[in-house]
Amino acid sequence: MTQGFDREWQLDELLDAASQGKIGPALSALLGGDFALTDQAGKTLWGQPSPEARREALILELEPVGYLLSSSASPAALSAARQLMLSLLRAEVRFKMASTLHLESVAEDFESLKREHARLSESEARYKALSGELEARVKKQVGELEERQQMLYEAEKLASVGQLAAGMAHEINNPLGFVRSNLTTFEKYLGKFAELKTHPGSLADGWQALDLDFILEDGIDLLHDSAKGMERIARIVADLKAFSNVDRASQEYADLNNCLREAVSMVEAQMPPGIHFRFDLLPLPGFVCLPGHINQLFFNVIRNAVLAIADSGRPGEVKISSEADETGIHIRIHDTGVGMTAEQIGHAFEPFYTTRPVGSGVGLGLATARNVVQAHSGRISLDSQPDVGTTVSLFFPTPP
Amino acid sequence: MPESDAQHLTFKLVYYGPAQSGKTTNLLRLHDLLAPELKGEVMTMETKDDRTLFFDLLPLGFRAPSGLLIKFRLFTVPGQVAHDGTRKAVLSRADGVVFVADADRAQETNNGESFQSLAANCARVGLDFEHLPMVVQFNKCDLPSAVPEAEIRERWSAAPWPLVFAIALTGQGVETSFELLIRTVYRNFCQKLKLQSEHGLSEDAFVAGALGMNA
Ligand SMILES: Nc1nc2c(ncn2[C@@H]2O[C@H](COP(=O)(O)OP(=O)(O)OP(=O)(O)O)[C@@H](O)[C@H]2O)c(=O)[nH]1
Ligand SMILES: [Mg+2]
Repeated sequence: MTQGFDREWQLDELLDAASQGKIGPALSALLGGDFALTDQAGKTLWGQPSPEARREALILELEPVGYLLSSSASPAALSAARQLMLSLLRAEVRFKMASTLHLESVAEDFESLKREHARLSESEARYKALSGELEARVKKQVGELEERQQMLYEAEKLASVGQLAAGMAHEINNPLGFVRSNLTTFEKYLGKFAELKTHPGSLADGWQALDLDFILEDGIDLLHDSAKGMERIARIVADLKAFSNVDRASQEYADLNNCLREAVSMVEAQMPPGIHFRFDLLPLPGFVCLPGHINQLFFNVIRNAVLAIADSGRPGEVKISSEADETGIHIRIHDTGVGMTAEQIGHAFEPFYTTRPVGSGVGLGLATARNVVQAHSGRISLDSQPDVGTTVSLFFPTPP
Repeated sequence: MPESDAQHLTFKLVYYGPAQSGKTTNLLRLHDLLAPELKGEVMTMETKDDRTLFFDLLPLGFRAPSGLLIKFRLFTVPGQVAHDGTRKAVLSRADGVVFVADADRAQETNNGESFQSLAANCARVGLDFEHLPMVVQFNKCDLPSAVPEAEIRERWSAAPWPLVFAIALTGQGVETSFELLIRTVYRNFCQKLKLQSEHGLSEDAFVAGALGMNA
């Protein structure tokens, strides 16, 4: 026997002891004193069935669920009592079936909710796995991109070192050339002095005839000149050494103002005429950085500024300012050069983007600059107007 | 499996189908049309605007030569989509199903969804849908918008279930649907319940007893 709503309900389920206690006396009184109620098997539920009692079956569906018994009631009265009892039981069975079914269906609905929930959690788990996978893939791609950018950066570094080397060679060749020619001339001058030994006449006559006054004076000038040339070479070599920190990839405290000055002196060495620098450098706190990379960054940005002025065909100025506040270090490099259009600004940080003729630069300047800035958790932004100039703003956060 | 003890055998038969397809009407017509030895009243549970909220129940019964009382309890499910939990509870323990589809062309989707839900709910309540005795009735064939019989037959040609075309409103096809179902039920349970061997019931006698005709 199942406990489902559709089981065949027993009389004692439909009419519990409390209800029997209420209905029994009432029916007993109505039926003239004698009344009993039994279930379908004859078991007494209420009253005392007498052996000679009249019996009426209580049929709800097909078979009796119980019997009414009375020895005192007339057949009509007993039949009326049966009708009364049946309508009571029908109401009861409807209520019982409906409420049991309701419970079953609520349980069913709950089961479906649980199934739905399980289905959702499963799809959520699948989604989570997928997103984890995606994240890993993105990470890998980002890693690859970073690697590629690093390679580009190295390429740019080599290229700018190459450019720098070419510029330096020119710079060194120049003094080297005149020192060499000075020394050749000086050698000739010493020959003149040697002639004095064999010159006829007095020493003073010879001195006069050989114009040794001039040669002495010019010879000293030549030596001074050469010494200056040597000094210039020495300075260039010293600058180059400071700059070649590029490959020392360890962090150091640096004063960014010094880095700016160093970069400027590198750019100045190969600067076209008509361009001058203005500095507005306020004291900065020490900044933990990779000085070689920072030098490279400043060099790129300042060289761009100089080239922008050169491109404009006018004299111009590069203004470099720096200041610090509680959040970090602000550096601005402003030029009065050709400026950039909005479209050019949009592309400016892309590797290989250049506004210059092919061959004069590999176009990695700003892309490299940004890599360096980002490596120092900083920000770089461009503000520019065609024919007016460009401002590159750099920000490096300092720990509080 | 039907409920049984020494004197009783009760088959639970369920009328399943989309809302308003005519399940309750089937039961009411059967009550009028059939005359078995025992026939109860139709208990229609809580209908609101003619929509079944819980179920309807029609009890029928007859006595086998062996003295065994064979009872059929015909239930309808509420067709409205919202009552799926109730539908499932009513469907559980069913020994056979009449699927009452609505022949109206506009109801094709509802028929399909209801049939899907029948298959799904069978699985949920532990009934073997593949082997469940079942008849598919297309009701409301009187409607001008009804899908033509030939088209329905064509579409259901691969299905294993008997098809009945009905107009429950007039009683047409209602008895046939019930008869075809209990024939399948008989074949399904004859062996297991020893209907022939122990209770002296042939298929025709079983049908005659249920419908109330002389065998
Ligand atoms: N035209 C036509 N209408 C019918 C037919 N059978 C039933 N109807 C009508 O369809 C409507 C729904 O019938 P019901 O028997 O209550 O439908 P049901 O399947 O029990 O509906 P739910 O209890 O809501 O699931 C009623 O208005 C019926 O009169 C038929 O054969 N033809
Ligand atoms: Mg209904």
